[in-house]
Amino acid sequence: MDDNKKAAAKLILTRFMAYVFVFFFCALCIFFFYLLFISASKTNFQLQGKFSFLPGSNFITNFKNAIDDTMINIPVGMMNSFIVASISAILTTYFSALTAYATYVYDFKLKKYVTTFIIAVMMIPPQVSAAGFVQLAFKYNLTNKLWMLIVPSIAAPAVYFYMKQYLEATLQIEMVEAARIDGSSEFAIFNRIVLPIMKPAVAVQMIFSFVASWNNFFMPGLLLTKAEKKTVPIMISQLRSADFAKFDLGKMYMLILLAILPVMVVYLFLSKFIIKGVTSGSVKG
Amino acid sequence: MRGKNNRKSVSYAKWGYIFIIPFFVVYAIFTLYPQILTFYNSFFENYREGLTQIGPNFVGFDNYIKLFTTSTDGMIDIVKYFSNTMIMWIIGALPQFAIALLLALIFTSTRLKLKGQGFAKTVIYMPNLIMASAFSMLFFSLFSTVGPINQILLANGILDKAVDFIAFKVPARLLVALMNFLMWFGNTTIVLMAGIMGIDESLFESARIDGASSGHVFKDITLPLLRPILVYAAITSLIGGLQMFDVPQVLSKGIGMPNRTTFTVVMLLNNYLSGSKNYGMAGAVSVILFIITGILSIIVFKVLQKKED
Amino acid sequence: MKKFLTALLAILMVCTLAACGSKDTADTGTTDETPKEGTVFNIYAWNEEFKGFFEKYYLGTVPYLDTDGDGTLDAYYEEAPGKHWVDEGVEFKWTIVPSDNSQYQEALDAALLNQENAATDDKVDLFLAEADYILKYTDSAVTQDVKALGVTDFSNTYSYTVEAASDASGTVKGVSFQCCPSALIYRRSIAKEVLGTDEPAEVQELLNSWEKFDAVAADAAAKGYLMTPSYAETYRVFSNNVSSPWVDADKNMHFDEKITTWMDQAEKYVANGYTLTEGIWDAGKNAEMGKDGRALCFFGPAWYFNFCMGPAHEEAMGDWAIVEGPAAHFWGGTWLLAPTGSDNPTIAAEIMNTFINNEDVCSKLISQESQFTNNQAVNNKFASDPEYGSEFLGGQNDVAVFAELAKNIKFQNITLYDQYMNEGLQTYFVEYLKGTVSREDALNNYFKYINEKFPAINTETAK
Repeated sequence: MDDNKKAAAKLILTRFMAYVFVFFFCALCIFFFYLLFISASKTNFQLQGKFSFLPGSNFITNFKNAIDDTMINIPVGMMNSFIVASISAILTTYFSALTAYATYVYDFKLKKYVTTFIIAVMMIPPQVSAAGFVQLAFKYNLTNKLWMLIVPSIAAPAVYFYMKQYLEATLQIEMVEAARIDGSSEFAIFNRIVLPIMKPAVAVQMIFSFVASWNNFFMPGLLLTKAEKKTVPIMISQLRSADFAKFDLGKMYMLILLAILPVMVVYLFLSKFIIKGVTSGSVKG
Repeated sequence: MRGKNNRKSVSYAKWGYIFIIPFFVVYAIFTLYPQILTFYNSFFENYREGLTQIGPNFVGFDNYIKLFTTSTDGMIDIVKYFSNTMIMWIIGALPQFAIALLLALIFTSTRLKLKGQGFAKTVIYMPNLIMASAFSMLFFSLFSTVGPINQILLANGILDKAVDFIAFKVPARLLVALMNFLMWFGNTTIVLMAGIMGIDESLFESARIDGASSGHVFKDITLPLLRPILVYAAITSLIGGLQMFDVPQVLSKGIGMPNRTTFTVVMLLNNYLSGSKNYGMAGAVSVILFIITGILSIIVFKVLQKKED
Repeated sequence: MKKFLTALLAILMVCTLAACGSKDTADTGTTDETPKEGTVFNIYAWNEEFKGFFEKYYLGTVPYLDTDGDGTLDAYYEEAPGKHWVDEGVEFKWTIVPSDNSQYQEALDAALLNQENAATDDKVDLFLAEADYILKYTDSAVTQDVKALGVTDFSNTYSYTVEAASDASGTVKGVSFQCCPSALIYRRSIAKEVLGTDEPAEVQELLNSWEKFDAVAADAAAKGYLMTPSYAETYRVFSNNVSSPWVDADKNMHFDEKITTWMDQAEKYVANGYTLTEGIWDAGKNAEMGKDGRALCFFGPAWYFNFCMGPAHEEAMGDWAIVEGPAAHFWGGTWLLAPTGSDNPTIAAEIMNTFINNEDVCSKLISQESQFTNNQAVNNKFASDPEYGSEFLGGQNDVAVFAELAKNIKFQNITLYDQYMNEGLQTYFVEYLKGTVSREDALNNYFKYINEKFPAINTETAK
């Protein structure tokens, strides 16, 4: 009895400490979100001077100004960003998972080289290929094409690496063999059995890939010059290089704030798939 | 360990090739080709001065030699920039991993069952949703000479004169590390959380039935099974850290103040590329960055892998 | 096996590139030179400032005036000189790329260098550039002589705007549609305390040379004020008046005497507490414009005090006035340049002529858009108008000050490297001024930066 009481007391204490710990870091993150929010509620002139923690009164005006700005078309930008980010996220997770599965389950002669190669090229900084990529895009007249930002996401070494590691930790080869005995094709085994097991991993990488692509400024900024093709980060940058009569930091922070909302929805939706116990009970070794 | 050893080789080898084709075709066209160009460029003098193209002229290893030449202050600049980058990465990454691991354990614990977890998980990932450049702008205004941090310290009498934090080496590096930490700990938490959730629940159950303490469960079950994911997280964090750019660029106004002690390798790369399109020098910096990243990754890999034996 | 893989990849690459390549040649094969001018007019810019003026006053497709006072513009400019082009079916296409991270110049350079191969409808017909990098384009074959195109009357423009758009041999490659003379902006209330007057004529008399400026700085500091809010506040006043270029013909870098004078001044001012180590865009400088502001002098053109002195507008409206100060200088401004290979040279020339010589359009730029135009006759009309005045400047007629000042501006000893030279010096030198880095290290870092940008420049000669 005494032991039980002690354990219960210990649990309460641990729980309390956990709450404090989690609360602290949540507060820290909310604080920065609050900073962004108050910045989006101030006028350009207020933002130029001394910093104040109090919100301004210009929130609605900034919102209207952002929507009415003739230089940027927010719905079009959001749509372009969404097309690029969502398709990239799907392609990158699917094909990385497929490649990881191939190099985990099958034994083929080049397997070792393939794995080593992909992990090695993961270490090459993206800035390295960016310059050459842009050169080629201009040379072959492939600027202003959204697919140029989407298709390369099929080959994402870091996502592959994650999928491979995740498979190593979770997938039991017996499940594949069992399915094979049931007469499933190799492709079907991957789609119907392996992918569901990888749901949490796929969700995690979809989130990361979506966010990275949504916030990507560098490559789209160099390739997309036509108004109807521009993505949100380019529009933010366009507000920053506006002329002085139109320059408005408040409006810019408003657009940054608006740009976060769709990603949050996607995050909330996908994070539901990061759940426990998908593999439990399916095969007992 | 189950899995690896009793895996039978499957005779469907061709499927291995078929499944990797899309990845490799896309990689070859969109990434490998430009990468080879970069490597090739590193042996040439190739840049623009205004609109005039200089080169490409073959110069052998000149670009590399230039990078490794001792500068006037007796230091090899690129070595300095590498050590800056590594120091700032480590200061941010250590707490990032410790706190992310703790948070992941808390969120996945079946014993603690904290309320409001969904909310907390969303909130800690939010800093990652803000564009790095926008986040650094906010951070910059917080720590400016007329920012709230100085205002508070002055009001409480801790300081008698406003301090330009970013002008001093230690606070400047700490600020860069702190921002990287804030932006990425939520991300690492999610990775580790998903890793822990992928572990077969029955293993925890049987351990609990055997009466193992939570410390033992962590040490004997969670940690070993999480190792592949930890390796992934550590290596991608290292790679990302070596490519650190946005945060120090905005915080230090692009110059790596003070005295280039927050100047990173990719900031150097950026100086070569933006405007002057110096593909020769940028290529050489990239190749060196690649080699160093490779060596360090192998070390991280070996250190984390060794414990398995 | 490894070889097999490499070979496979190589074949794949070659195939795709060949496929793209053949398509590419098919596209460009049809571009035959036609004497008739094209129907698509392409303009490159980094923001919409000029686009607005262009659509209101050149094309007349966007309303410019609110006649019924309901807050929305409803009247179109009927005399718009470019209206007929729209009726004739010419399409005006804008490519707007933000200037962040030099993306505008990257996109523009790519287009200009590809001008010959581009389809007629894609050829750049007009592009915008700033003073900081204009030489990169004027001193190159990518731009052409506008006098040959029919832009010949420069009698009303300010000479520095023409110098800026000319190449080394004096060939004019474009025009500026605005003029950005920069003034000394002083705070009236502080001027009264330090100088005993806030009358512009008297203030100018007390601040018309650097010797007097230095003496006043000491007075201001003695009374608890700052002479300037930023160590770099006076930079352009010096750098616009250098007597030798940053880099000579042999690519040797030198500090002009004016630049070293600025360095000495900055050092002395910081040491004596006459100024702050804040950059020109820093919040710490801007805070000195507010109600607790201690700074006597700011430097900047109309766009600066109208749009960038936020705290002054919020908390110190009307407490300001402008004078020429120790030396004439400018800051900013946008030039229209004529690219070589354009298929619409007639329209390009007509646009340029409109914005420098059409008095009606230029008047509207002042009255409707608060611009200071590049037409002296029109500016002078407003300068002598007793009704015209700026609320921010306590009723002072800023056009009158600028009209006098603009005549004295020089645009000389410019090099391709100036943008990096000037910005780099300000950002690196302040490290020394802050006391955290030695002067030698600060300058060495600056030279490193210059060589990262321009490997061919010999920085040894500047040491």
